[in-house]
Amino acid sequence: MITTLQLTLNGLALGAAYALVALGFVLVLNATGAVNFAQGDLVMAGGYAAAALAPLMPVPGLALLPIVIAAMALLGLAVSALAFFPLMRRPATAVFVSTIAIGLVLQNAALTLFGPEPRTAPPVWGSEPLRWGGLTLSHQAIAVISVATLLVSGQGWLLARTRLGRNLRATAQDREMAAALGIPVRAMIALSFALAAALAGAAGALLVNQFFVTPTAGSALILKAYIAVVIGGWGSLAGAVAGALLVGLFETVVAAAVSYTAASALLYASLLLILLLRPQGLFGETAGRRA
Amino acid sequence: MTLAAAPPSSPRDFGNDASWAVLLLGLGVYASAFASPYGLRVLTLAGCQALLVLGYQFIFGHAGALSLAQGAFFGLGAYTTAILSTRYHWGFEATFSLSILMPLALAAGVALPVLRLASHYFALATLGLAQMALLLVVNAGDWTGGALGLTGVPGIAILGTAVPRGLPLAITVWGAVTLGAWLSRRLTHGLTGTAYAVLRSDTLAASAIGLAQTQLRFSAFLLSAGFAGAAGALQAHTVGVVSSETLEFSVMVTCLAMTVIGGSTRIVGALLGALLLTYLPEWLRLLQGFALLAYGAALLAMIILAPEGLAGVLGRARAHRRQDAVLPLSAPVALRGSRSATLEARGLTKRFGGVLALDRVDLVIEPGEILGLIGPNGSGKTTLANVISGLVAPDDGAMRLGSRGLRGLGAERIARAGIARGFQTPALPPSLSALELVALTRASAGQRIGFLPALLGRDTGDERRRFEAEAADLLGRVGLSSAAVRPCGTLPPGLAWRVEVARALALDPMLIILDEPAVGLGEREQAELGATLREIAGCGIALLVIEHNLPFLLPTAHRIVVLDQGRVIAKGKPAEIVHDPAAIAAYLGRERLPA
Repeated sequence: MITTLQLTLNGLALGAAYALVALGFVLVLNATGAVNFAQGDLVMAGGYAAAALAPLMPVPGLALLPIVIAAMALLGLAVSALAFFPLMRRPATAVFVSTIAIGLVLQNAALTLFGPEPRTAPPVWGSEPLRWGGLTLSHQAIAVISVATLLVSGQGWLLARTRLGRNLRATAQDREMAAALGIPVRAMIALSFALAAALAGAAGALLVNQFFVTPTAGSALILKAYIAVVIGGWGSLAGAVAGALLVGLFETVVAAAVSYTAASALLYASLLLILLLRPQGLFGETAGRRA
Repeated sequence: MTLAAAPPSSPRDFGNDASWAVLLLGLGVYASAFASPYGLRVLTLAGCQALLVLGYQFIFGHAGALSLAQGAFFGLGAYTTAILSTRYHWGFEATFSLSILMPLALAAGVALPVLRLASHYFALATLGLAQMALLLVVNAGDWTGGALGLTGVPGIAILGTAVPRGLPLAITVWGAVTLGAWLSRRLTHGLTGTAYAVLRSDTLAASAIGLAQTQLRFSAFLLSAGFAGAAGALQAHTVGVVSSETLEFSVMVTCLAMTVIGGSTRIVGALLGALLLTYLPEWLRLLQGFALLAYGAALLAMIILAPEGLAGVLGRARAHRRQDAVLPLSAPVALRGSRSATLEARGLTKRFGGVLALDRVDLVIEPGEILGLIGPNGSGKTTLANVISGLVAPDDGAMRLGSRGLRGLGAERIARAGIARGFQTPALPPSLSALELVALTRASAGQRIGFLPALLGRDTGDERRRFEAEAADLLGRVGLSSAAVRPCGTLPPGLAWRVEVARALALDPMLIILDEPAVGLGEREQAELGATLREIAGCGIALLVIEHNLPFLLPTAHRIVVLDQGRVIAKGKPAEIVHDPAAIAAYLGRERLPA
């Protein structure tokens, strides 16, 4: 019973971090029609940013988070300037390749700067586990869940309630129409990249204490975030979050019951299965073309 | 059919010419005369990579799909060779064949779910496949040696004769590369190569010429897997060790970088990319730790600055000399064949969400008839055209062309069944000339597009010349002669419709659907368009013309159908329609009366 609860909590914490990655994924995909293959590596970069800042500033992880988020947003802008804007008029595949290149650069920059050994950073706050009755709940899991919830709802509020959010959504729906309405489309796209990188960086900073970070840690994340998005549907943020929580729970439970390998293999198999059964996903991008 | 004229030499042919053969020859001289044993080993490894990249060009370069499973196919080939030769002591002939067949089988097995996917779905599905392969290999330790891998893979022995390492092995591997390059040239230098260019640039244009897109993607995917398996097997023999590193993402990324940097469709590009990225890290020892960092930066720079790769950069200078293509003499095409039939649609219904775009539409078009389709914006005209041409599946209703049912056929098969389609925004691949496009359409209609016809040489040489001569005839009929060799992207609207009509005619159609062909045309061009359509109808071909321009349509059409909110509200001869109360209320009134 207690282990089940702890396991659920850990699964939800992992899922919450995935949700941050998946949200960034959807943001960029909707804004540009292209997948940012560096999204996983941006998580890794966020982890390293936290790990590098920690020795300089002896504060809890929570205090580092705003700095990491700001730095990552800048990195996101750089990614859009290097890997998206020069290729705006080219097939989406060109952007896939350019973001893979960015990922490669990030991975090897991390390898050169930090070496191959896993790095970690202080927990978000306090390291003492929380005892409540017979339960021992890790602080970290609760901290990750609450911070992620905060960021996800902030994201939802931004998109649904603000003028900026409306402009972002208009750009995602129809770039030409948005431009005709006077929305600064390029700025909105750059902002989508910045937000996506900030969310990915936050996920990295949240995960780094429990899972450590290595230069190649991001590679597996991209698929998991993608699976979350495929499960949840492309349009809705809530769907992506639900999908991410499901993936996190599934992975944690199966890893505890069988093995981590089995969990990953089953996830990848389910991706192929979902794509087989719902080939056009829930996005329907095969329909029509932009004149 | 004999033709005196020389074929036009198209600029896009360049790069698949013999420059790769010259490069191979130079390598041969270097290897046999100057290379050290170490140099030969590096050269041999570069050969394995060249074969891998040659294969990857089929799916990534020609079909234009980002597959991330190429590294997995490579690893599968390497493991097949390693397991069979170290555990079961099978001979080279058997292990090599199986190393090609296993990836082929895997590719064929996953093709069904994977190939229907477009864009990022395909990329991430193949990435998922690659990750599963890696997990499998690392965890099936009994078979694969786990993370440590398998050692002691023997060298190559052909028919019992061992091929020693060093020069003989280098020659064997590069011999395989030469064979691969020859095969690649054979398959892609004819019209099939042009078909892939259309497929990757514009799927709508590809379906309009009846290309069997799924089959083309499928064969490209299989070929890349087979090449990758062969490359993996040769590398296993060269290195003697196979470990899970073979399946890691870095192998895939290196292959991608080689392809993009060298050039994704040209044979010489595959060789250049593989050589350069194998040798650079060797030359720049200092860069050791930075090699992949440099790959990443170079990959990014190339995709932005030189999307056609090194081969494209080197080829551009020479391509200029070939621009002055000539139109070949034309060979007359019989437009009225045995094919003519009535299109009958009954109860066509299509919903988009809650909106009823088509509501039980009945439509009959007789051979030789021009049927005008009018109605207010949003009345369902284009949807009807999309349903008839198979781009959109109806929710209900039946369609027949003559005695043949069309329900459930895709756009490509409907195009080949005899319904050709022009588009409101002309779907013409911008870099292809009208002559190439229409010749390609003739070849597509004649079932000469695909790797099998290409292997048999049936999409090139005399056959290609015949298609080009027929294309010249069709283009002449629609009044496009001198501009037929210009890239379609440079044609003004007054000429673009002519290409669309010629392409439609090239399918040997029974019915042609045109969507607002008169938009943007001056009065004289409208008159020419009208005359051309009448002439086509005179050959027994039926036409369905969507048009808002009534002064053009009324004298051109034999009959008019008026759509409003997805329903047929009036039909009849043009003279009757202008007096029809329902048509006037829904549509014509707006055109006639001041607002």
